[in-house]
Amino acid sequence: MAAIEIRGLTKRFGQVLAVEDLSFSVPRGTVTGFLGQNGAGKTTTLRMLLGLVEPSEGEATIDGQPYRKLADPLRHVGAVLEASNFYPGRTARNHLRVQAASGDIDRARITEVLELVGLADAAERRVGGFSLGMRQRLGLATAFLGDPKILILDEPANGLDPEGVRWLRELLRGFADDGRTVLFSSHVLPEVAQTVDNVVILDRGRMAADASLKELTASAGVRPVVRIRTPNADELRAALLADGAEVKIVAGDRIEVVESTPERIATLASELSIPIFESVTETPNLEEIFFRLTADHAEETLR
Amino acid sequence: MTRAIRTELLKLGTARLPWGLLGLAVGLCSLHNILFDSNAGGTGHTSIPSLATYAGQSQAIWVPGELFLIATVLGVIVASGEFRHRTATGTYIATPNRGRVLAAKAIAASVMGLLFGLTGAAVSTAVGLGFTSAGGHHVLLSADTIARYAAGATVGSAILAAAGVAVGSLIRSQVGAIITVFVWGFVIEQTIGSVYNSAQPYLPYTAAAAMAGVKLGSATTSLPFVAALALLIALVVLVSVIAERTTLNADIT
Repeated sequence: MAAIEIRGLTKRFGQVLAVEDLSFSVPRGTVTGFLGQNGAGKTTTLRMLLGLVEPSEGEATIDGQPYRKLADPLRHVGAVLEASNFYPGRTARNHLRVQAASGDIDRARITEVLELVGLADAAERRVGGFSLGMRQRLGLATAFLGDPKILILDEPANGLDPEGVRWLRELLRGFADDGRTVLFSSHVLPEVAQTVDNVVILDRGRMAADASLKELTASAGVRPVVRIRTPNADELRAALLADGAEVKIVAGDRIEVVESTPERIATLASELSIPIFESVTETPNLEEIFFRLTADHAEETLR
Repeated sequence: MTRAIRTELLKLGTARLPWGLLGLAVGLCSLHNILFDSNAGGTGHTSIPSLATYAGQSQAIWVPGELFLIATVLGVIVASGEFRHRTATGTYIATPNRGRVLAAKAIAASVMGLLFGLTGAAVSTAVGLGFTSAGGHHVLLSADTIARYAAGATVGSAILAAAGVAVGSLIRSQVGAIITVFVWGFVIEQTIGSVYNSAQPYLPYTAAAAMAGVKLGSATTSLPFVAALALLIALVVLVSVIAERTTLNADIT
């Protein structure tokens, strides 16, 4: 059984269809990135998963049960949806005391999670004076408080500095490597690419992709591009075209090649005694795939 | 349920606003009783009788109606504050059973309301008896009477705090809920009470005041303690049920 299962999930707010017939699952022990443009329905989906928003159709389960039916939710799932959802007059430690009380969690755990997220020195400060990054860390401390098996996070990298983002990446990876499960939404695509095993892409409430990063790269049709700098661009282009590659001259001495490899290009150039001054291979990144998958709708919106 | 109540009590204990409201209640009770008690036996139409009389001493230790209003506002803030500060998300993630959260909030607010009532009654009684003694009058009120008035103010504050939670759950906008409470207390209840004298004892703030010993004009009889108590509890249950059937289970977006 998958840790998280979404089946036929649909949500309408009046006339607005926020999420439409969404289905995907999050395998146990993996990190899954949940991507989509603003208003794509990511947060609504996470809220339905956590029992905060009632689905119009379909269901979302955690370990086979709706969130509201979980016996001890804070020990089962650590979830943070908003970095700003703290009472501003309460200290960080008191915020965690309240959460610990609601989950019947040992108070000794509060100090542990404060140290884990690097907020031990700010424990007695009121949350109202915290930066966004500190609030994110406090949110993560809240999620980790019950030592849960599953983490559900909405934009956890927002407001974190580069060091914080790296720390988060290692934290989430370590969490998954322990056999636990992470589902997090993000718009920081390069960051997602370095962290996740699987990606779910949502486009205006509809599923655009659900695959591992590798599968996604292959299926999205975004091919690696080899950029070559050579004084004999026309000659090399002709040879590569004859070899079945697609070639485009982008400047007098520069060509872009797809459907070939740097090794094949170098071999052909060597056979023809064509010097190559520079060879760079650009592999497709998640950002390109994301924009390709969501481009059609973006264009429709612009029209 | 115990866990949810403990959580809500901890929320109240670690926030500043409830303690600020308690300070406001103490200040209002002090000011109200000092102003009225220092003018006891005067000729103004709102003056209380001389402190040499039983009626004057009774009125000298009455808590002001505003105490009950503040207790209600406390309850409103306990419930609607979750939406104002967007903490409802975290609360319902921790305790998905919203009915349980509502009940726990009502009980926690009642405990704080008890403190408001007890403190307000202590202040009003101390001021009233202080002016009585300072005026050289013998205290004519029995200890039982004083205790009954204090108990009424305490229980009344507690129940109205719970009513505030119900109102705050029904009206998620904190400003809207507080305005509703004030409009009810200062406009609707007073208007209904003035126009329909026979309905006056059955109005919530009037009933709470009756529990605290406050007497209505000669034309109208206040509800007995138990009847007023039953009326206020019924009000809390009614508004809570309406909230539970309507807004409580609405989406948290």
